[in-house]
Amino acid sequence: MGWGTWLAFKQFQNRREQKPTSLAPVSILKPLKGVDEGLVENLESFFKLNYPVYEILFSVTEKTEPAIAVVQELLSKYPSVDAKLVCEPQNTGPNPKINNLMTAYELAQHDVVLISDSNIRVKPNYLLNLVPDLSDSVGIITAVVAGVSAKGLGGWLEASYLNTFYARWMVLTKKLGFPSVIGKSMLFKKSTFKRIGGLKTLGHYIAEDYMAGHSIQKLDLTVELMRSPIEQFIGPYSYQNFWARHLRWGRIRKSIAPIAFLIEPLFFSTVSGIIGSFSLKALFGFSPLLVWFSHMALWGICDGLIYGLMDQFSWKALGAWVIREALAPLLWISILSGNTVSWRGRDYQLLKGGLLAEGRTT
Amino acid sequence: MYLADFHLHSNFSDGKLSIPALVDYYGKRGFGAIAITDHFCEQTTLIGRASSYLGVTLTAATFPIYREILKSEQERAWDQYGMCLIPGVEITKNSISNHRSAHFLVLGNLDHIDPNQDIRELSDRVRPEGALVIAAHPVSTQKIEKQTFHLWDRRYELASKVDAWEVASGPYLFDEVRYSGLPLIANSDFHSEKNMTSWKTLLSCEKKQEAVLQAIKKQQLDFQFYREEPKRESSYTSIPWIMGPQLGHYGMGNVASLQAVSK
Repeated sequence: MGWGTWLAFKQFQNRREQKPTSLAPVSILKPLKGVDEGLVENLESFFKLNYPVYEILFSVTEKTEPAIAVVQELLSKYPSVDAKLVCEPQNTGPNPKINNLMTAYELAQHDVVLISDSNIRVKPNYLLNLVPDLSDSVGIITAVVAGVSAKGLGGWLEASYLNTFYARWMVLTKKLGFPSVIGKSMLFKKSTFKRIGGLKTLGHYIAEDYMAGHSIQKLDLTVELMRSPIEQFIGPYSYQNFWARHLRWGRIRKSIAPIAFLIEPLFFSTVSGIIGSFSLKALFGFSPLLVWFSHMALWGICDGLIYGLMDQFSWKALGAWVIREALAPLLWISILSGNTVSWRGRDYQLLKGGLLAEGRTT
Repeated sequence: MYLADFHLHSNFSDGKLSIPALVDYYGKRGFGAIAITDHFCEQTTLIGRASSYLGVTLTAATFPIYREILKSEQERAWDQYGMCLIPGVEITKNSISNHRSAHFLVLGNLDHIDPNQDIRELSDRVRPEGALVIAAHPVSTQKIEKQTFHLWDRRYELASKVDAWEVASGPYLFDEVRYSGLPLIANSDFHSEKNMTSWKTLLSCEKKQEAVLQAIKKQQLDFQFYREEPKRESSYTSIPWIMGPQLGHYGMGNVASLQAVSK
């Protein structure tokens, strides 16, 4: 816990600007589905990048997709930016995101490709700080995501999760040599992906980001984290959405790494506090209640420090943190109880290793 | 003439090196042909399932990526080293009893690999498509490790289903196999650099997958002991292979070359 917090600090405290060295042209791929609050601003931030040569390829799966209007408005507002809309889904497997992206991926003109989700909002120097780190020994650069502009209980819970547990987890697993790749921001070279069969190979996995990282490591290339977190615009988010999303993520983790999933509760503040307090009582006769509250306070301070690094800490954030920590064991039990996930209106059966069985519409 | 090794493990199962690192390792030593054959454990047994959880076997999830990387490395191995890389797997059927355990290699065509299939079914399926089936370390390897005797116990009934039997695995030569009259092959069962000192197969055919597989099938091959010198990374010496009864038609006489093979 302390080590993870320290690593997170080390990773993000010096958000120094990169001295641009090699600024390879970049193709930015944006899969779109629906219009959430903040979408215009999120997408617009990619039209304002300070970068010599880049193109943006928006991809949708249906001609009736509501996000098309948003994109067309931006295309006419920024005619000087090389951007286009693609509506030509392919069927590479059950992963809808890969199916949506495949044609845009094939159309991408540049070797360096950035896949970036629609709820990511970036600063103008984003690519300047990101691309120079993509050296020959690096396979993928991903980023820690900071949840910002949360609204509603689900939104605050999501921010609490991203800005504490997940941020620490990403820097910690990177340090331990098992880096997590987050699909919200993946920078890589097409020529590298060609060595694993291209993007289409990932279409059979629900966690295409995890599998991309896993495959890249098999080529003796590294997965790196961007030096500063990127912002995910959360906006209004219901409790049900929060629960469904984390149920999905948890079941994916369970399918990919079942043993790691089984020991996950040991890393929950509540559970590790209970184990610690009873252990200390048995060994030294300490008061379990006192130990447990001290443990929770210390855990809260560490999480608060990371939260402060990622976003502005507030009382609402503290409240969300308390609820999230209390919910974590219940969520874990719920994850344990099934192997299906709902994703973009479809139910999928998860197979071993993160493979997906074909879904059915719900 | 060139050296070949058809039983290597990468970090997709329990090997230490990645596939690109294996290609570089063998390519730099002048090998003409290699086959990467990671474990693919059957999933119907507890031991097989445990291997998946421990990440020491290919799985249905990792197999497609494994094949794609092998495909791209095949090109690089040829372009960079003039070495033929043959895709393969080691179908791994482990049981508590050594006599119910079997490991066999499938080389060449991996289109229809199902680790849960019996060797007979799998052999009937993959061999018409150009793949070879090789019995891996069929007798005692003289090491403290899992032994696999199932195929050897049934060698006569399986003779028509298996293209070659490992006469050596690593530095150990199996006399029972050597004088059995069955078609032979020598491999290192490479998991890490320390396994490099071992018996290898010697070929003289064209360095193309089809030609190599045909040479194994027709037993147009020889064997040589390769010793990795710790201080001189790419040098090796050889010791004689007194050939068995089948070797008359190899044109190499009864004793393999005592000199190092030129690279």
